[in-house]
Amino acid sequence: MGKVLSAEGLVKRFDDLVAVNGVSFSIEEGETFGLLGPNGAGKTTSISMVAGLLHPDEGAIDVNGTQIRTNSTSGKSAIGLVPQDLAIYPDLTAAENLAFFGRLYGMSGNSLSTRVDEVLEVIGLADRKDDLTKEFSGGMKRRLNIGIGLLHRPQLLILDEPTVGVDPQSRNAILESVEDLSRAGMAVLYTTHYMEEAERLCDRVAIIDEGVIKAEGTRRELVNLVGEKDRIHVSATGDLAEVARIASGLSGVFGASPSEHGVEVLAANASSLLPDLMACFASSGATITGVEVIEPNLEAVFLQLTGKALRD
Amino acid sequence: MGAAGRIAVKDLKLRVRDRSAFIIGIIAPLALAYIFYLIFGGALGAQSIDLQFGLVDQDSTEISEALGQILSEVESEGLLVVTEYEDEAAAEAAVDGGDIDAYILLAPGLADASLQGNEYTIEVVGSVDSPTATQIAASIAEQFGSGIGQAQLSVGTAVALLGGPPPADVASWGQEAAERPRAFSLEDISAETRQLDASTYLAAGMAIFFLFFTVQFGVLGLLEEERDGTLARLLAAPIARTSVVTGKALVSIGLGVVSMTILVLATHFLMGATWGAPLGVALLIGAGVLAAVSIIGLIAGMAKTPEGAGNLGAIIAVILGMLGGTFFPVGQAGGFLSSLTFITPHAWFMHGLAEISGGAEWTAALPSVGALLLIGLVFGSVGWILLNRRLAR
Repeated sequence: MGKVLSAEGLVKRFDDLVAVNGVSFSIEEGETFGLLGPNGAGKTTSISMVAGLLHPDEGAIDVNGTQIRTNSTSGKSAIGLVPQDLAIYPDLTAAENLAFFGRLYGMSGNSLSTRVDEVLEVIGLADRKDDLTKEFSGGMKRRLNIGIGLLHRPQLLILDEPTVGVDPQSRNAILESVEDLSRAGMAVLYTTHYMEEAERLCDRVAIIDEGVIKAEGTRRELVNLVGEKDRIHVSATGDLAEVARIASGLSGVFGASPSEHGVEVLAANASSLLPDLMACFASSGATITGVEVIEPNLEAVFLQLTGKALRD
Repeated sequence: MGAAGRIAVKDLKLRVRDRSAFIIGIIAPLALAYIFYLIFGGALGAQSIDLQFGLVDQDSTEISEALGQILSEVESEGLLVVTEYEDEAAAEAAVDGGDIDAYILLAPGLADASLQGNEYTIEVVGSVDSPTATQIAASIAEQFGSGIGQAQLSVGTAVALLGGPPPADVASWGQEAAERPRAFSLEDISAETRQLDASTYLAAGMAIFFLFFTVQFGVLGLLEEERDGTLARLLAAPIARTSVVTGKALVSIGLGVVSMTILVLATHFLMGATWGAPLGVALLIGAGVLAAVSIIGLIAGMAKTPEGAGNLGAIIAVILGMLGGTFFPVGQAGGFLSSLTFITPHAWFMHGLAEISGGAEWTAALPSVGALLLIGLVFGSVGWILLNRRLAR
């Protein structure tokens, strides 16, 4: 897989405020990269520089081998932007919105109208193509907002918190669309402050706060980075102290202790440990009534790295 | 078609759909011009003076007849019509019946009062519907009385020096008063200062006044796109940033030209407005639109929000419109105001039209066109820089 985006040492200042301070990351073809952070962390400023909207005070952005600059059109055709705000014209129809932006990207004629129809199918608005978008629901507008971004078949799709203010059904549809695009080989830069979205969509995640990337990697790498462990709560009856003693000796177990209605186990990887753990309960004659695996998540990682919750 | 053209076409489509530009650019100025024409058309008319005066000479002396001579001279110049009446009642009836605007009454005793140096009152009676004409009649009477007074003074001095009244000379006093240069004058000011007739004045005034609102739909659209988030998408597209500003300016220019053209044609056919040589009008419209777009562009470049820009634009448009004489002819106020009015594009536009509406060649509008283009160049340059700087962050 080739590298689609490379951002190196991005710095952006607004007067005395350093909104982004030395941010670097890269994205490969077919990879979904997440920028996870609370509001005001520097996510939108970072992607605005990547999309060529903001001029970085320091650093460089390269998309498919072309330097991205605000005052140049080079490389921008490779980027599809889905802004956080609904960037559509309410007094144009869905098809007209798509066609207008398509023309700005150099599309025209039959290829444009064919592509407009394709995208309308993808975002589920084919039957509403000739309706003014001011008559659309919030979810439909969000889908069209995404559709405009991918109309010209960009190699890099930038989505800035695309599910903010969206109902659960539309939100799920949007997430499924992003997964499909990634599977189709598109590089996706996805910003969110929803931990669940980052965990579901992103192959790699950068945790950003106060304009600085605190950590970057796969979900597992990030969790390991801060030493978080899976916690397994096994509800059971029987000699729970004996079960805990035996379980403590299992490989990958950092500790096990009996509790009022079962045993608490700390492990490196719950899913791989569960068969051995079940066998342990069986050999001790204990009866299992329930198992709950509480995996460490990015929210916990964020909390540990920044000292604050994602929604702060 | 380039990116600027595509943006302009998109914006024009949006403006057509929300009809706001149609209302502000065509309906409102046309309606207001017509309403003002119905209300103030007569008062604002600057056509040739058409005064109907009456004269009642009950003194019937050489002195009183001198006023008749003066009025006859003016009448012969086509500036007023004088009708002599036998008595005051007849003149009164003529005023009441609207046949004349005012009459001057020379009661018996004018000559005697002049000889003896006594006070004498010349009465002027006018119609309440013709205040201006009555003022003019009163002014004529006053100046005539003043002439009599000066002649009386000079002859009175001679009488005192000679030690007795020279009756033969008394008759000449009136003649002398009549022969003195007239202290008043009536001139066809429409020919002299090239004023627009009422319908053209109101049509042109409303057209240029509302032009400053109409062009806002284009340039201020940039701030609306910024507020609504679509500007980010435009700037992310592979188009030059100047295309965005150019596209918006094209919308303003297009709306302004279309609006003004429709207003010219509509007021010509509906109100009888006489705009003058088509080429001159076209040049004035083009230059006027550029000046308006440049000023609104500067406002857009300075404002933080579209609402703020709209409010500031409206304030500026009203101030410039009033100062520029779109509601009333400020230039005729004289003094400082008559000079100050020419800092506005409105005044230059109206001035240019006044130059050609009377039938002059289109070239007569060129000085005004030049002034409008200069205004456009100065404000447009600064606005262009500010707007493009706004996009380059």
